[in-house]
Amino acid sequence: MHTDSRPQQGLSKPSSPERGSETGYEHLPVTKVPGWHGIIAWDALLNGMATGLFLAAAISELAAPAVFLRVAKVAYPVALVLLLVDLGLLVLDLGDPLRFHHMLRVFKPSSPMSLGTWCLTIFSLPLTVAAGLSLLAEFGWDFEWARLGAVVVGLLPGFASAAYKGVLLSTNAQPGWKDARWLGSYLTNSAILMGCGELLVLSALMGQTQATGILRTGFNVLLVVNVIPLGLLFMNLRPAHALLYTREQQWRVGAIIAAGALIPLGVVLLKGGLMFILVAVIVLLVESWFVRFVYVKIPHTSPLGK
Amino acid sequence: MASREMELSGLHQSSDPPRGPLAELVKRLIYPFLRGEAPKPRTPTGFYTDTTVCIGCKACEVACKQWNQLPSDGFNFSGNSYDNTNELSATTWRHVKFIEQFADESSGQIALPGTESNESLLNRWLMMSDNCKHCVASPCHQACPTGAIVQNEFQNIYIQADICNGCSCCIAACPFGVITRSDMGGHSHKCTLCYDRQRDGLEPACAKACPTQSIHFGPVEELREQARKRVEELHQRGVPQAYLYGDVASETYSEMHSFYLLVDRPSVYGLPDAPFNPWLHMMGDYVRSVTGGLAGIAVLLAVVFLLKP
Repeated sequence: MHTDSRPQQGLSKPSSPERGSETGYEHLPVTKVPGWHGIIAWDALLNGMATGLFLAAAISELAAPAVFLRVAKVAYPVALVLLLVDLGLLVLDLGDPLRFHHMLRVFKPSSPMSLGTWCLTIFSLPLTVAAGLSLLAEFGWDFEWARLGAVVVGLLPGFASAAYKGVLLSTNAQPGWKDARWLGSYLTNSAILMGCGELLVLSALMGQTQATGILRTGFNVLLVVNVIPLGLLFMNLRPAHALLYTREQQWRVGAIIAAGALIPLGVVLLKGGLMFILVAVIVLLVESWFVRFVYVKIPHTSPLGK
Repeated sequence: MASREMELSGLHQSSDPPRGPLAELVKRLIYPFLRGEAPKPRTPTGFYTDTTVCIGCKACEVACKQWNQLPSDGFNFSGNSYDNTNELSATTWRHVKFIEQFADESSGQIALPGTESNESLLNRWLMMSDNCKHCVASPCHQACPTGAIVQNEFQNIYIQADICNGCSCCIAACPFGVITRSDMGGHSHKCTLCYDRQRDGLEPACAKACPTQSIHFGPVEELREQARKRVEELHQRGVPQAYLYGDVASETYSEMHSFYLLVDRPSVYGLPDAPFNPWLHMMGDYVRSVTGGLAGIAVLLAVVFLLKP
């Protein structure tokens, strides 16, 4: 992961001594690939899972406290754990992880990474308070007003933490990535969808039937809505994919992603119990990871026919 | 160089304050936040590289390596003409490119310059000493989240190696593939336009070493004037294809403080034909990102309000 940035592999192929007749630079890639591989796909997934779970729990709790209070109090600590794992991955991905705090030297809105780092840092504070007070409430120390205050304060930085990731991965010069105008829209919408799914699993595990019923409907509608930015994103990426994959491979990827969206929808529509919900959400998470992985892989993939 | 330098820097200096793990930790934490006084702006400087007089001697590459104490990259046979350097990297800040444009010997076609419309039959060498373009609105500078990449007092793009944490945003952002992350230390490096030499009133090592004055260094405005005169001269001398690359801003990219005189398409030299600053998309991408999230929240809220008891 932390090796030297290699020459760009995407959309063109470097020469080799065996192909000595192919001299010059026209066939060579111009840009270089940053060392962002699998860790970034996991980071994009965990970022969405953590921020989405917090946002879904906060919105549901604030809109219908009587129904969602108990499940929200469990959701915040889970979101905190997911966020901490995500932050760990972000630190590990640096060339010099011991210099992670250098990110906080400056605040630069022109840099999505800077904006994202500040949003994540700010978001982690109210999330920690909300999670901590939710746990304390279980032991009888109930500071409800402070907990609710932390939840409200966390809404904006939580949303911004979900929204920056797609812009970070589309505002650059990398082939394929630079054309992904709808990536941010997909990732942010997907974060809310995953958060709703996670909250649904928690409410089903806790036997919260009212909350489960409402979230089941919300999950279904969000699954359908999420297809729109996903479709637009794939339209953006079609030229890049056409260079990288055979038609058969493209169909295979499309079929996996379509199945990842349709299976959860069908399973949840069956109105089964906990197992059905678990299967639906796990399939959704796998599909979400797959979409991110396919995207992150684009500049690292060798093209066809060259 | 680096291993020797690291070895030396690890030695205890008599002037060093007493060190301990706690003091070291505090120093590491506080150091990046300390700010010195910003130097006063000076006349913007840059490079103008006239590729028509480059002879491919690689003196610039050697001078750059020597002055900046950059390690050797080893010998790699590329099979691409005389170019075994291959690319700019964290340890190679100057790269001489060789382009052979000769008629296929078997076809027996020989063409003279200016008499053949097909560029591939010109029977010529193109050579170009490439380096960081020191763009005025540089994507790497905009992307850097640590503030390690700055525009110094000469309006050159400079990476502060003691601040960079190797996040690689600059690598992803650069449309010219200039910056890479080093295996040693994990930080990004590139041409500094010999900032240290400039501060002492010296010209950069590569320009100093160039035996044909292909690499010109000086105030950018003067260089532009000089370059335009050279293009006119070449046009009059029967090289109508001569033009400047990066001397003025385009609709999608700013001017560069290191610009080139070329006689073929930019892509022939391994440069993007129409460089694009990714930041032109940023606001739109944010709007779409926020819209996607708000749509999800609106759906969830609507369902909760409609179905709650």
